[in-house]
Amino acid sequence: MTDPILSVRDLQKHYPITKGILSRQVGAVRAVDGISFDLYPGETLGLVGESGCGKSTAATSIIRLEEATDGEVIFNGGGRAGATRNADGTHPNDVTEFDKQELKAFRRDAQMIFQDPSSSFDPRITVGSSIAEMLLVHGMRDRHRRRAIVEDLLERVDMSADDYDRYPHEFSGGQKQRIALARALVLNPDLVIADEPVSALDVSIQAEVLSLLNELQEAFGLSVLLISHDMGVVQETCDRVAVMYLGEIVEIGDTEEIFRNPQHPYTEALVSAVPTPNPYTRREGIELKGTVPQPSNPPSGCRFHTRCHKVIQSSDYDLEQAQWRGLLNLRSEVESGALEVDKIRQSAAVGEDVEPDAVSDTAIRQQVRTEFDLPQELPDRDAEAVLADALDRLVSDDQAEAGELLASEFVTPCEETKPEFTDHGDGHRSSCLRHRAEYQEMEVVSDD
Amino acid sequence: MSTEETQETDEDLLVVDELKTTFSTEAGELVAVDGIDFSVDRGETVCIVGESGSGKTVATESVTRLVKEPPGRIEGSIQFKGAELMEMSEPELRDIRGNQIANIFQNPQDAMNHCYSVGWQIVEAIQVHQDISDEKARARAVDLLDRVGIPNASARFDDYPHEFSGGQKQRAMIAMALIGNPDLLIADEPTTALDVTVQSQILSLLNDLQEEFGMGILFVTHDLGVVAEIADRVVVMYAGKVMERGDVYDIFEQPAHPYTQELMKCLPGRGAKLEGIPGSLPSPTNPPDGCRFADRCDHAVDECRQGEQPPEIEFEPDHLASCIYYGPGYDSDVVRDAELELDNTERTPGASDD
Repeated sequence: MTDPILSVRDLQKHYPITKGILSRQVGAVRAVDGISFDLYPGETLGLVGESGCGKSTAATSIIRLEEATDGEVIFNGGGRAGATRNADGTHPNDVTEFDKQELKAFRRDAQMIFQDPSSSFDPRITVGSSIAEMLLVHGMRDRHRRRAIVEDLLERVDMSADDYDRYPHEFSGGQKQRIALARALVLNPDLVIADEPVSALDVSIQAEVLSLLNELQEAFGLSVLLISHDMGVVQETCDRVAVMYLGEIVEIGDTEEIFRNPQHPYTEALVSAVPTPNPYTRREGIELKGTVPQPSNPPSGCRFHTRCHKVIQSSDYDLEQAQWRGLLNLRSEVESGALEVDKIRQSAAVGEDVEPDAVSDTAIRQQVRTEFDLPQELPDRDAEAVLADALDRLVSDDQAEAGELLASEFVTPCEETKPEFTDHGDGHRSSCLRHRAEYQEMEVVSDD
Repeated sequence: MSTEETQETDEDLLVVDELKTTFSTEAGELVAVDGIDFSVDRGETVCIVGESGSGKTVATESVTRLVKEPPGRIEGSIQFKGAELMEMSEPELRDIRGNQIANIFQNPQDAMNHCYSVGWQIVEAIQVHQDISDEKARARAVDLLDRVGIPNASARFDDYPHEFSGGQKQRAMIAMALIGNPDLLIADEPTTALDVTVQSQILSLLNDLQEEFGMGILFVTHDLGVVAEIADRVVVMYAGKVMERGDVYDIFEQPAHPYTQELMKCLPGRGAKLEGIPGSLPSPTNPPDGCRFADRCDHAVDECRQGEQPPEIEFEPDHLASCIYYGPGYDSDVVRDAELELDNTERTPGASDD
């Protein structure tokens, strides 16, 4: 196999959280927390995930608009191929170590396209000069040649050469994004990082811009890193996909394979969130509840376990998956103090049609069970005993103890162990504990 | 109140007839919406779908006359629960807006005031419409926030908009829209600014609320994928005119108008190669003769470029298309696209929810 044009190794970007007048560092927002992937020449790699998972930070750190906290970004494009590591283990092509001069050269070979085309053009200068400015910065002094190159490029992106002298407000969103493409290509780069290039556009215009991007990629031999939250966009344009969750890559592989056979539950949920243009299959997908947790304090073990619909059961119990999920949700609510008995008393009062003070303890217990999708009585006796005990303590306003009890009894392996990558063949890898041999067996048993 | 409502249930909730919205601009009269009809029943979701610039937002804003007059001018008839909105005075309208007809907009960020807490803004909206004490309004606001799925609502009440995520802000906007138990909810691209996962959460929230409150929803979007998720009936708009309308299943089973077909082709997963629709919308100040879509249509013949927009032809029950090929003397097979038509056998039993 050819060498990758871009190799990202253990890239981290942490933003410090400071406090007080001395700005002591009290923590860090771990926006990108150790991601690794390779991008091969001529390939499109998609980086997908919800907002807040760190995908844009990854892009800006790779292109060094922001300084990475740790890790390596090895860029072999622009005639840098074939370099080997120095004696001290550093790599001559490591972008994070580039000095000013090398960085300027690197920025000729790697370009970025941003989400909102309206805010990435200066409204006071013509789009032609906006593009030509790049050539000037990188040393092309001949004004006529600059203009000729830009006019030619405008035509390549299906605009006309006359558009050179027009201002950004004269163009629609889709046209502006095409001009942004022209600007990214004017220096003849090897690598283009496109950060949500179409999410601000209409569906019909999205298709147009994406197919143009595909065409140009072939014509210019580009390697593209495409960042998107939309699995539909990724499916259309990318050769390979890396799925990110909370600063980490949870699954990576060929696009077709990822869509046909997603291995990580998060990927499954993302794939099913894409609206299908078929009214007969509506609302069959897995709904991903809640939002991405705070990256300053990520969950232990597998970071997705707080929202996972396939979270592994403790071997002590034998419950339906939905019940187990409900128990874990209850536990995290009680533990974090988010569950308010008063609120529940009120809701129960509405249900029973009495004053909140007159609500019976049984009704409160029942209300908690309903809110967390738990049945009247859990089929597993041990689990039921713990739950009943915890509910008793809740009712007697002893939140802390109820939380402790639930936390000590209902424990999922997913929060204790950080899953490693499992190889599914052909470069398809995912990090989910369910792929370990011991849990695979359990799944088969529980299926019976 | 209750007797009044039982009387009204037989009537249509919203009937819009020959709605025409024009703006006077320096370049001349701009006709944004050019004589369209649609209706929304109770408990039903009607989607207006089209590209940007097709006039769908202006059409929905004209319903409650949110369009500024002048420079705008609204003509036609808008009947809401039997009452003519076009003849109402501003105070009467204000009583209906936000109370019986509520709006949700595309960008929750812009729809909120950054200087006040989210809860305060909901309380303000409640007290505009209802004469109740601060404590009661607060309790109701917390209740609404809880209803739309904001976890720990009483604690989040005093948070400011920047402390809410995009999806949570949109949920808060929906809470605000529910204040008056509206009969009609107008949602203008409520999920376009959101992530795909959050989008599916908001769509299912709207579905649940509709089941609970039985309101009609007028939903505006450019994404047919979203339409397939939420709509009961669909109105396809292009350049101020209706191109096609029908039941959501009919539209997806047999997209009839070439414009609807082009929109479908833009979606991933319908077999076609992604290409987009070549060309752009016609000038709204000087629309072409004949069918507005003729210049971008593969099947356009000379007749398509003459006279007015073709009338809407009902070629199967409750499924209409404004295309001459469905009229007498033309072969509709020319414009039909077998590749796009969903096979009926794909219909899995029990998959449809109505």
